Amino acid sequence: MRKVGIALLLACFLLTAVAQTQKESAAPAPEVKIGDLAPDFTLVDQNGKLRSLHDYKGKKNVALAFYVWAFSSD
Amino acid sequence: MRSFQQNVAKLEAADTQVLGVSMDNPFANKVFADENGVTFPLLSDIGGKVIREYGIYKEYDQFHTKIPAARRATYLIDKIGKVVAMQVDTDAVDPTKTVRACERRKLKG
Repeated sequence: MRKVGIALLLACFLLTAVAQTQKESAAPAPEVKIGDLAPDFTLVDQNGKLRSLHDYKGKKNVALAFYVWAFSSD
Repeated sequence: MRSFQQNVAKLEAADTQVLGVSMDNPFANKVFADENGVTFPLLSDIGGKVIREYGIYKEYDQFHTKIPAARRATYLIDKIGKVVAMQVDTDAVDPTKTVRACERRKLKG
């Protein structure tokens, strides 16, 4: 019974999160625009490896996909 | 991110590396990647520095608290480091436009 309760609570949290994300709109345009040089960065990935944007310079295009949080629906 | 994973082969064929970025920690990203079969790097921007630099930082109202995170956005960056295409918010969920932009670029060059 307790497990069901916890599961229901989790489901509610998730649904609220989804509803909330969909409500967000009419936000200002981002600072980095088409034609700009993309700001360089170095960040750690899920396996502890450091990745920099400049690692790919001259080698590959990069599709940089920002997401709201892990486990969000999309 | 699952929709990007489904398109990873097409993007890679168009000489494009996919990088995901969020304010999650690497451990959450590891679990997320393992559970969803994500093979590309998921990067942790814990303090939101990079997200702020790109101008897509946002506070989400959740459970009466403000939770900082990134907006959904996809940037296609070419080999010299220039932004050649971008989609923001709901547009960025479906990677089809990014895939098409990549493929067009491949034809050109």
